[in-house]
Amino acid sequence: MKVFFKNMAVVMTMALTLLSCSNDDANSNVSGEGTLKLEFDNVYKTADLAMNTAYTNSNGEVVKVSKLKYIISNIKLTKEDGTVFTYPKSQSYFIVDELTPASLLLNLTNVPAGNYTKVTFGIGVDQDQFNLGATGQGDFLTQAQNAGMMWSWSAGYKFVAFEGTFTAPTVSSDTSFMVHTGQTGTDYNYATVTLNFPSNALVRTNITPQVHIMADASQLIDGTNTISLTAANGMGMGAMIMGGSNLALITANLANMFEVEHVHND
Amino acid sequence: MGMHAHVKDTLPFPSPTAFQPFKLAMEDCDSCGCSASGGSMGFGSLLNANYVGLRYLYQFYRTNDGLYSNSPWYDEQYNTLQVWSRLPVSKKIQVSVLVPYHFHQHQTNTGTQSMQGLGDITLLGNYRIYQNLKKDSLTVQHTFIVGGGVKMPTGVFDQANNGSVNPGYQLGTGSWDAIFLTDYTLRYRQFGVNAVMNYTNKSENSKGYRFGNQFNYAGTLYYIWNKDKMTLAPQLGVSGEVYAHNYQHGQKLKETNGSILFSKIGFEAGLGKWSLGANVMLPLHQNLMAGNVNARSRIGINLNYAL
Repeated sequence: MKVFFKNMAVVMTMALTLLSCSNDDANSNVSGEGTLKLEFDNVYKTADLAMNTAYTNSNGEVVKVSKLKYIISNIKLTKEDGTVFTYPKSQSYFIVDELTPASLLLNLTNVPAGNYTKVTFGIGVDQDQFNLGATGQGDFLTQAQNAGMMWSWSAGYKFVAFEGTFTAPTVSSDTSFMVHTGQTGTDYNYATVTLNFPSNALVRTNITPQVHIMADASQLIDGTNTISLTAANGMGMGAMIMGGSNLALITANLANMFEVEHVHND
Repeated sequence: MGMHAHVKDTLPFPSPTAFQPFKLAMEDCDSCGCSASGGSMGFGSLLNANYVGLRYLYQFYRTNDGLYSNSPWYDEQYNTLQVWSRLPVSKKIQVSVLVPYHFHQHQTNTGTQSMQGLGDITLLGNYRIYQNLKKDSLTVQHTFIVGGGVKMPTGVFDQANNGSVNPGYQLGTGSWDAIFLTDYTLRYRQFGVNAVMNYTNKSENSKGYRFGNQFNYAGTLYYIWNKDKMTLAPQLGVSGEVYAHNYQHGQKLKETNGSILFSKIGFEAGLGKWSLGANVMLPLHQNLMAGNVNARSRIGINLNYAL
């Protein structure tokens, strides 16, 4: 019996020793660089966005989406101590396309290790970058052209392209709509949003956080500002919203389109 | 006297000691291979205090990622084949060993996936601190046992979580966990009541993940019917599990806590040194992972050989 108790004591002591030496990654000295991934998960209100599926807006219009693309740019990450890491501008332009799954995940490499609390990004291409001229755009110009996210060089980039068909109380048959934001004669319409993380993104050499961002497409036309597709269909040729004051209203709606649902630190 | 159930005992039925159902709640699957499961599964052997046996556990869950109003529900099925034994060390002390082998499967949006392998091995020591065993079948008999042990990280923990939204869809927790338990049995004639409680203190694993501490409890009523070498013990009870939040790299993970209460019904039948047990558990009330994990049913079947 004595031997048994002694053995048990040894086993329990060993177990407690093992239990007590947990490694606290969150606070240990942090150095080097890692990768952070921003995942854009497009939804329509609370539903996972599906193409050509009917969604009803608050004004009674029923929308079916066939295209959703937007440019994400100028990403900045803020650490818990308040310092900001600006992702290299030349690499900080992305086209998110609902129909291209790989485009929904932005891989930010060579991010300094640290505990990040929020992300800031632009929707569209900022005016400073545009002012560099066509030759200053690097590969992104071609990329945008191939993705249909340019009108022409002079007209500029499309910041958001949101298309599909709709019906409404007074529009009985499926009628196409196109919402393209970008600069107008009076407004540049580039928007910046900052999203707080519900828990820190712990960038380490061996931890790659993935920030799951919900992007609610309904906010574009059914957000703070409601855009009537019916009204924009005045000629009966479809609702083509590509200019005018509506673009500023839609740009303002972008402030509420994005939200971080959770952060994975795997 | 020995710890054997049916021998050297002048009682018309096995002694309360022998009836220590090993309601050993912690079992193989606290939070691994079944985050929501945990202890309270199975009665262990009512008929034999010391045994070696084989047990099969089936658990059925439905899970939802909780991200969208139209997120699909997927089936998740956990199967465990477990070698379990309870060995006498002295009159008052027993040691238990549980060695699980899991084969789990779950649906995903791209089809059914499965995994299998050794789970986490548990070692426990039980100490009987009180028993008023009298050779009189009319006496109310009490037995009180305390115990503790470790669950070892012998099962693989994959932090990518094998594609499941349920963090418990794993072969193991990857952690060294400490287990504490109490076990009380009251016997009067053919009737028995058993109450068990246990607590698992989980540590952070090498991947920086820590499953939430877990409290299990169970209450079981049973009746022992003997004839010749045969014994039949029908059982009815409730069992519950309470989970604290999981942590990753020291950060609390939202919507990973919860609790569940099961009803359970079962029996154990003995013939000589062999016994066969089976039970079914159905949830009465649950809120696991903010409702994203829904336990549907559990089944346990065991075949034991008394030592």
